[in-house]
Amino acid sequence: MLLGQDGVTNGAIYALLALALVLVFAVTRVIFIPQGEFVAYGALTLAMIEAGRLPGTLWLLLGAGVLVVALDGLDALRRGGMARLLQVVAANILYPLALLLLMRTTSTDTWPLAAKVLLTLAVVVPLGPMIYRIAYQPVAEASVLILLIVSVAVHVAMVGLGLLFFGAEGSRTSSFSDASFTVGPMMVSGQSLWVIGTSLGLIIALALFFNRTIYGKALRATAINRAGARLMGISPALAGRLTFMLAALIGALSGVLVAPIATIYYDTGFLIGLKGFVAAIIGGLASYPIAALGAILVGVLEAFSSFWASAYKEVIVFTLIIPVLVWRSLTSHHVEEDE
Amino acid sequence: MKKHKTIMAAAFGLAFASGAAWADITVGVSVSATGPAASLGIPEKNTLTLMPKTIAGQKVNYIVLDDASDTTTAVKNIRKLISEDKVDVVIGSTITPNSLAMIDVAAESKTPMISMAASSKIVDPVDDKRRWVFKTPQNDQQMATAIVSHMVDAGVKTVGFIGFDDAYGEGWWQQFSAIAEARKLKIVANERYKRSDTSVTGQVLKLYAAKPDAVLIAGSGTPAALPQKTLKQRGYAGKVYQTHGVANNDFLRVCGADCEGTFLPAGPVLVADQLPADNPVRKTAQDYVSKYEAAFGKGSVSTFGAHAWDAGTLLVNAVPGALKSAQPGTPEFRAALRDSLEGLKEVAGAHGIFNMSPTDHLGLDQRSRVMVQIKGGSWQMVK
Amino acid sequence: MSNPRSSAVPAPVTGKVPLVRALPWLLLVLLVFVPVTLSPFYVTLLNYIGLYAMVALGLVLLTGVGGLTSFGQGAFVGLGAYTTAVLTTSEHLPAWLAWAGGSPWLALIIGLLLTAVVAVVLGSLTLKLSGHYLPLGTIAWGISLYFLFGTMEVLGGHTGLSGIPPISLFGWVLNEGEEIFYLIWAFLLVAILTTRNLLDSREGRAIRALKGGRVMAESMGVDTSRSRMIIFVIAALHAAASGWLYAHMQRFVNPTPFGLHIGIEFLFMAVVGGAGHVWGAVIGAAVITILKQWLQDILPVLFGASGNFEVIVFGVMMVLILQRAPNGIWPILARWWPDTASKRKVDAGAAPLPRRQMPAAGEVLLQAIDVTRKFGGLVANNTMNLSVAAGEILALIGPNGAGKSTMFNQVSGVDTPTSGEVLFRGQDVAGKTAREVARMGMSRTFQHVRLLPEMSVLENVAIGAHMRGSKSVLPAAWRLDRAEEARLLAEAARQIERVGLAEHMFDAAGSLALGQQRILEIARALCSDPCLLLLDEPAAGLRYREKQILAELLRKLRGEGMAILLVEHDMDFVMGLVDRVVVMEFGEKIAEGLPEEVQKNPAVLEAYLGGVA
Repeated sequence: MLLGQDGVTNGAIYALLALALVLVFAVTRVIFIPQGEFVAYGALTLAMIEAGRLPGTLWLLLGAGVLVVALDGLDALRRGGMARLLQVVAANILYPLALLLLMRTTSTDTWPLAAKVLLTLAVVVPLGPMIYRIAYQPVAEASVLILLIVSVAVHVAMVGLGLLFFGAEGSRTSSFSDASFTVGPMMVSGQSLWVIGTSLGLIIALALFFNRTIYGKALRATAINRAGARLMGISPALAGRLTFMLAALIGALSGVLVAPIATIYYDTGFLIGLKGFVAAIIGGLASYPIAALGAILVGVLEAFSSFWASAYKEVIVFTLIIPVLVWRSLTSHHVEEDE
Repeated sequence: MKKHKTIMAAAFGLAFASGAAWADITVGVSVSATGPAASLGIPEKNTLTLMPKTIAGQKVNYIVLDDASDTTTAVKNIRKLISEDKVDVVIGSTITPNSLAMIDVAAESKTPMISMAASSKIVDPVDDKRRWVFKTPQNDQQMATAIVSHMVDAGVKTVGFIGFDDAYGEGWWQQFSAIAEARKLKIVANERYKRSDTSVTGQVLKLYAAKPDAVLIAGSGTPAALPQKTLKQRGYAGKVYQTHGVANNDFLRVCGADCEGTFLPAGPVLVADQLPADNPVRKTAQDYVSKYEAAFGKGSVSTFGAHAWDAGTLLVNAVPGALKSAQPGTPEFRAALRDSLEGLKEVAGAHGIFNMSPTDHLGLDQRSRVMVQIKGGSWQMVK
Repeated sequence: MSNPRSSAVPAPVTGKVPLVRALPWLLLVLLVFVPVTLSPFYVTLLNYIGLYAMVALGLVLLTGVGGLTSFGQGAFVGLGAYTTAVLTTSEHLPAWLAWAGGSPWLALIIGLLLTAVVAVVLGSLTLKLSGHYLPLGTIAWGISLYFLFGTMEVLGGHTGLSGIPPISLFGWVLNEGEEIFYLIWAFLLVAILTTRNLLDSREGRAIRALKGGRVMAESMGVDTSRSRMIIFVIAALHAAASGWLYAHMQRFVNPTPFGLHIGIEFLFMAVVGGAGHVWGAVIGAAVITILKQWLQDILPVLFGASGNFEVIVFGVMMVLILQRAPNGIWPILARWWPDTASKRKVDAGAAPLPRRQMPAAGEVLLQAIDVTRKFGGLVANNTMNLSVAAGEILALIGPNGAGKSTMFNQVSGVDTPTSGEVLFRGQDVAGKTAREVARMGMSRTFQHVRLLPEMSVLENVAIGAHMRGSKSVLPAAWRLDRAEEARLLAEAARQIERVGLAEHMFDAAGSLALGQQRILEIARALCSDPCLLLLDEPAAGLRYREKQILAELLRKLRGEGMAILLVEHDMDFVMGLVDRVVVMEFGEKIAEGLPEEVQKNPAVLEAYLGGVA
């Protein structure tokens, strides 16, 4: 029972990441390996804010912002004149500077938790679109394989930066809720409920976003038919940035959610992301609900195999994935032409 | 093909440009400053900046390479240090597999090597190859004996084990299970987890179900906190032991109140200020702590850095003897340095007193470990 | 797309022949002198490059050429390394294995056999996976094997096995890096040579068709599942051989060098070097190994020793390289490399291939009887009947959405009718694979041209002759297939001349105009020596003159006794050419007969003009 709860809690995080991966792949064809790094960045940035230290991610934000301006500045000037350029500068350089000023002048460690979480998101989330602009946009038309390898390179660089910013040791943050309830024979911790609740909330919010808002619809259109979407005036670059923004948001939020229940290290992201990836693939990189179910499956499988034979946990989890894959592969459409 | 020739030429030139001047003593270092063992390797790397710049009037150059906790890179590093940089001695690596992999190269080129990894396999038995290899950290065996003794004295009859799913956890399991058996301690559970796991509920439930009197957690650094926190959450009331791998302040920060009362064996450097005034290690350990904290901030010291420091201490004591018979940069010097290292007696380091011999290339004795308990969020020496 | 040669970059060889031709030999000579000239460390570095390049070479074949992405190669390296480590160090081998102990060379053979077995098992499990499931499958077993290495006591656990002896060759002990250097590079060069040979053969063309051309290849009689398995096993063997060398060079093994990270890094090398080219593997391995080394040397000088910037800078540089050279580095370098293969002569004197016994004129070859195909509630074909005889051209026409393509799929065996049957030479086509149908003598072209744009016209057409050859992987790798190969190519060349594309024989197929590509498809179909030709809109996109040539060709084929079924839109083209016409609308046959009759049929006029008028 406890194992089930544990599995579902972890599964909920995997589910969020799986959703982000599905989304990113559908819109940009990028298999976003650095997704996990956003989890680590989110968790560790929050931990640093709690400790009253200036998170290194802020410097990264500033650096990336300068790069984006360097890449986009001239184009903006040519196409939209000074006003456009100022807009780009404001979004990419002035914004991080403002955050920097804010964190330098006020002592953030005394803020309420919610405010710290918001600040964390404010620092980490804009990194998503910036990374898209810097690393992916120039090769947006390349094959899936190339995009994947670019992802690996970005992942390598981000893990290195993580080590530099946060050090090798892990961190935990304070819980959202210390409460725990006893439901029948089970003890349910408040934080698990937070994780599961927030995941559900986010999934519903995403569903609403895709069905109700114009940006959401534009993204869906791009996912279904890239060329068609472009003809309809949806810029692939905009779609890409928007998607990465969402992915970064989901990643950072997952990080903030797990940080109180698990110690997060600079390199934790990869394995969490990998499991999200497993779930995403079970969903065929296309279906959100199946990906979410796959995530829960991975979480529960992991919890139980760690109980039965902990030394062989990864072997069991990943070996059991293969039959699922075969089954998914057989039930999906048959006549195929690999890309 | 063509491309790499040009790059090679460039790299070649560079290597020469940055190569050491003749006749200085050159120390090559390979540490695991990135990858899974980074939390051990970084304090070691930091410590290297505190090492003496001259020994016995000779300038010492340190060439520090990162092996990313990977054996292939470690071997590549030592080959480079030996053949390119012509080092007189190699310090490294941080972890056992890397150190084991480096032994062959060191022995082949007849270069003394001082490892900073724990396993006794690195220097035991001292055979043709291991003649060239020394190490500074206490053997896992010594530490495991300390834990088992403490357990037996405290009336513990059954014990549960949970360790890292890597060489560290494996080494501990081998030593601990052997010694525990000899002392009639019953091991009722044996679990593994990954350093980067976000949950160990499954393993902990199993430990909990076995109802051991005590649990030993064999992990290093902050990842060792997770099983203990989970045990606490499940309401485990028995004794919890950790290994010396957790002995840094980050562990206290992450584990917080959940680790109150935990026992662990550690090098004396962890509780330098609490050592009796007549303990010869007290002065050298305090010396290291104050130097490290002056450079890297209060509370930043860890026992792992001290292993690097001890490697330096060994050199400081061995080099003068070697200099008498040969010039640095020569094979004769390396051989003399080896002999000199092997002959070191009563050298006080941060972790204990080293007495080397042709059959013992570690040289640490019981004075190299103390039992420590976590009390009030700090390390307290037991009795 | 894939091409082991350098057709992505035009390589004008002729102007600077002497130097360019000599380049590979020059480098080879340089390689021989490396150990005596370079310092031992650079020899070590070159050793690692050689080892990595070998694994990356497998990935070039698997991923770059075959389109199968694998993250698990590290595990195969481990398999090779651990086999030899256990066999050469363990003193307590079980009795049944004792004979294999102690000798690295025996261990190599056992390691390769073991790897082949494991690869076949894993391959038969995971190669069935389609699309993105495959890479994940490779991650799954890559991780599983890695953890098995770490948890098994016999394998030394996570701590590893030490004391592996060096390799000895005819009494010469390869102890030093400079000595094993020759062995590593000899292995690598042999691997490169055999891979190149393989790709330039009958089997190689089938392999190169895997990426983006499976449907086409299957209908040309290529067993693509088998080809996938072949490259999977070859890649695994390359990795295992590299692992064997690694173990004896390192003399120590533990699990870390065989994990998922390393598997990803091998893929990285292949892609950065140029995943479609054998030399890309070497370049990729070299660039990444040297770049890492170089960063390790230079960064502490630039930034001081305070941080670990190597990985960060490495990651950033890789992103930059991929942005500048998305096809890898090799295509950029290839312009200085002699392009030996593309100008190969076709030996017109090669003995012609045996031909099929053509059916007598008038014999009914294809018969569709009451074929009905339903998709859910939609009836795409309703009790369709048609037949084609030898020496006859039948046209299947109808307005858009009439169900022609569905009918074409039923007839060609791509799809199976809901009811009714399709007989080809008296045998039922239903349930047969495209491959079996092709063997029976039916060959086809595609409505949307399916060819391999980077391969030459000659090679594309030669795929059609796949079934008519038999030499497989090993003869190809060691060039024992040349006689048969010459006959296949001569046949392809004959068909190309026949359809009038002789002047484009060595051009990349992708460079042809659409109309010419359609003609090329016909040549390819002819190359399989069929007695029934199914042509799906062959005249679409052709200019008037080209249509005339095509019509001329089809008449000639009819004269030779070929049966031809064509699905066509272009009424003018059809009417002057074919013997009979079947008209479809709404999934049903509305008319059949001679062109002139059909043209006057009121139902047909209604179907074609009614909607508009």
